[in-house]
Amino acid sequence: MNEPLAILAEPSACWMLQMLIMIPLAAGLLLFLVPERFRMAKGILAMAVTLYAGYLSLGLYTSAKQMIMQGETVRQGCLTLFDFDLLQKAGEYLTFTVDGLSKLIVLFVSILAILILLYTIVYNRTAKVPGYYQWFLITLGCTYGAVLSDNLILFIMFWGILGITLYKLIPGRDEESSAAAKKTMILIGASDTIMLLGIALLWRLTDTLSINGISLETNNILTVTAFLALLVGSFTKAGAFPFHSWVPDYATNAPASSSALLPASLDKLLGIYFLARITNDLFIMTQGIKLTMLIIGVITIITAVLMALMQHDYKRLLGYHAVSQVGYMIVGFGLGSLVGIAAGLFHMINNALYKSGLFLAAGAVEQRTGKSDISDLGGLSGAMPVTFVASLIFAMSISGVPPFNGFASKWMIYQGIIDFGAGDGIASSLWIVWLGLAVLGSALTLASFIKFIGGIFLGRREPWLDKIREVPFLMWAPMAILALFCVLFGVFATEVVIPRLFTPVVGAFTFNGLWSSSFVSLLVLISIILGLLIYLAAGKKKFRTEESFIGGETVEKLGASYPAPEFYKTFTEFGLFSKIYKRAEAKAFDIYDLSKGAVLWLSERLSSAHTGVLPGYVIWVCAGLIIMLLIMI
Amino acid sequence: MAVYLFYFLIFPGLLFMAVAGALLSWYDRKITARVQFRKGPPLLQPFYDFFKLLLVKESILPKHGSRSVFLIAPLLGVFGAAMAGLFILLPLFDIETGFRGDIIVIFYLLTLPSFSYIIGSLASGNPLAAVGASREMKLIISYELTFLLVVAAVIMKSGQQFDMNSIIETQQTGRPFIGSISGVLLFVAGVFCIQAKLALVPFDMPEAETELASGIYIEYSGPPYAMIKLAKYIMFFILPAFLVAILLNGMNPGINIIWFILKILGVVLLLTLIRNTNPRLKIKQASGFFLIWMNLLVVVAIVLIAFGL
Repeated sequence: MNEPLAILAEPSACWMLQMLIMIPLAAGLLLFLVPERFRMAKGILAMAVTLYAGYLSLGLYTSAKQMIMQGETVRQGCLTLFDFDLLQKAGEYLTFTVDGLSKLIVLFVSILAILILLYTIVYNRTAKVPGYYQWFLITLGCTYGAVLSDNLILFIMFWGILGITLYKLIPGRDEESSAAAKKTMILIGASDTIMLLGIALLWRLTDTLSINGISLETNNILTVTAFLALLVGSFTKAGAFPFHSWVPDYATNAPASSSALLPASLDKLLGIYFLARITNDLFIMTQGIKLTMLIIGVITIITAVLMALMQHDYKRLLGYHAVSQVGYMIVGFGLGSLVGIAAGLFHMINNALYKSGLFLAAGAVEQRTGKSDISDLGGLSGAMPVTFVASLIFAMSISGVPPFNGFASKWMIYQGIIDFGAGDGIASSLWIVWLGLAVLGSALTLASFIKFIGGIFLGRREPWLDKIREVPFLMWAPMAILALFCVLFGVFATEVVIPRLFTPVVGAFTFNGLWSSSFVSLLVLISIILGLLIYLAAGKKKFRTEESFIGGETVEKLGASYPAPEFYKTFTEFGLFSKIYKRAEAKAFDIYDLSKGAVLWLSERLSSAHTGVLPGYVIWVCAGLIIMLLIMI
Repeated sequence: MAVYLFYFLIFPGLLFMAVAGALLSWYDRKITARVQFRKGPPLLQPFYDFFKLLLVKESILPKHGSRSVFLIAPLLGVFGAAMAGLFILLPLFDIETGFRGDIIVIFYLLTLPSFSYIIGSLASGNPLAAVGASREMKLIISYELTFLLVVAAVIMKSGQQFDMNSIIETQQTGRPFIGSISGVLLFVAGVFCIQAKLALVPFDMPEAETELASGIYIEYSGPPYAMIKLAKYIMFFILPAFLVAILLNGMNPGINIIWFILKILGVVLLLTLIRNTNPRLKIKQASGFFLIWMNLLVVVAIVLIAFGL
């Protein structure tokens, strides 16, 4: 992955790249001029722009690997416009990479953006976010920019704007959602600052800002600091422990169209994209770094999924899963082997597919029922068949049920871990820990999705839900397409998807494991068809519909059915667990609340100096002046 | 292709596993009867049970619930069991085919039956079934880590190889994994995991005839229930076979087949005796048993492996 790129500038690729970044940004700015009344028109315009961007990214995907310098173009532009080189050498910062990784990410950003926008146009809660479409387009343009830029300054510029759009895509009108927006903004903003520090350090160490030109050994304190600073940025964006805490809050309060777009898909793609760049291009990882990443990875998997298990609000549940899945990708990259990197990337794509699908499904359920608590719902499978089948596929994918796509990427990660175990060093000899916790995380994911599917779609339907109907075509079609992607990526994982999409990015590698995804999938189909034939052969009159038998009681008499939130209550009854859960619910482990507490404590101490007495202030000023002078002299 | 289908459906696939599993379940019932001073059923009783459900009995579908999911779930369960069984038996019988699965794949496929029962029971809309489903899931969470650690320890013993062929080969060229202290510990933990996977007493709380009236299966009857029976028969054969493959040397060709059959019968005997001499645990006790004691046992075994014992 680390080979230097040829500085080419195919005119077609250049043009596509400029258009890809500029058109969504320009259209987004233009949409600020259109009043909010014409929402539909804005939506259609945004759709047209997104489709065009999708077309361009397809073109870019087929173009050659290259580096594109736009400095000369900028200089020429300045010369014609102003008659002199106004920006001087600033154009040199405009360098872009078009390599396997960025092409892949750009392609999937486009696919996800088109599908989510399609859903958004008829989704009623989008109206709560003022100016959704312009922020959507700006997000899109900046995502393309961040993924394609080679210069770190250019990169962090696009990356920083994405933090603002994230803030703007949440309604922020009621108290809770504005608190969530503020939290998101502060965490993302703080991490961007730390990243900037890391970039400055990198520049100091290597004298260059080109991602493609840096390859540092992490062997001294400065390089490790730079590495960690950049890692913080990537982890916060992707939502990994301990910087994850904005994701569940955001997912609870934002409309599904926003949470499917950013925390579920684009932010994941970006965060992991940058992680891939850090671990493969910018730095060479040592054992210590690998160990750190693996530890963070498994902690992310387990803590987030344990929190998800106890949630009643299904959007919050999905939010915790959006965190937990990142852990697998971090583990994949932490392994440092080709299989690990390919697995991390594959899992990233898979996660974006099923997680945005799940958020869309949650949005559909919320639009139809107006409830966000699992215990209020149940039995919607008949009323919303497409949403149900799509959700079931997403749920099976995310929990790693073979032969869906989540299984394929997890299987790659596991074999990466087992191979890693053959190596030397402390991280390798602990391979069973990584494997055990990753698999346990997958079982817990299955458990919490049983709750999600069982609580919302299966079980008894409450009478008031009888009138619920399926969401409109434009809303269910994107879910169906995403579900189809999940199935296809799982079924053709080993034969088509990995060799075609991921081997070009990371280079050739061999599987040690054995898994024939498409043949096994064929057998699933055959078994189910055979089984249905057996049912049919048994004859229609052998099937009769009756009330359930509940030990002679009626459901009405027993009270409601066994509610889904009670499912895993047993686990909170263990002494140690219950204490941890209580403290986690009280946000005792949230880095945001912890640092908020520290800052407030500090400002309280400092405020004691604010006595309101003028001579006191004068003394402070003089003392400060003297100290400054002493340092300067 | 036709050959592959033959492998999947006839031998060593569905049909073979179902027949072997049914015979083993007769063996289990016969021993249970002897333990309780009863005579026990005739040899073909499991087949009578199965065909009565499939051909004679009618099936009652739940009025409040998702009928299609309710009907498809058992089929998925049969598939999971058969596919996992195929990936276990092909290397065990040393049959070379174009499609294979490693031990991680087998591990995941073995969870599929439980998962499909849970989905099916939740689809029935019966609160007792939901209680059973919740218990089954909690049981899965409890034993899954132990089971994985057993598998991982076996991978470690065979030098980071994780396809079944190499694991069996390592044992047959060297010595069986059970011939060491760590192997014995792994075997103990493995037997308990299988006990829980098969939902046999003391881990039968998802079914719990006396309190939940079969819990997760309460709404099933007729052909769909026959499918569940089929999946259970298959699991009853392949799980002991899996244990024999990863710890007890697998199977050598020729007359050694008898030795292999005896090993399977021995493991099943152990399972049967445990289930006949123990009361049902509460789910919390079962979780504690696996999460603390069994995991500890396997961790000790892993440490021993690291020291070469």
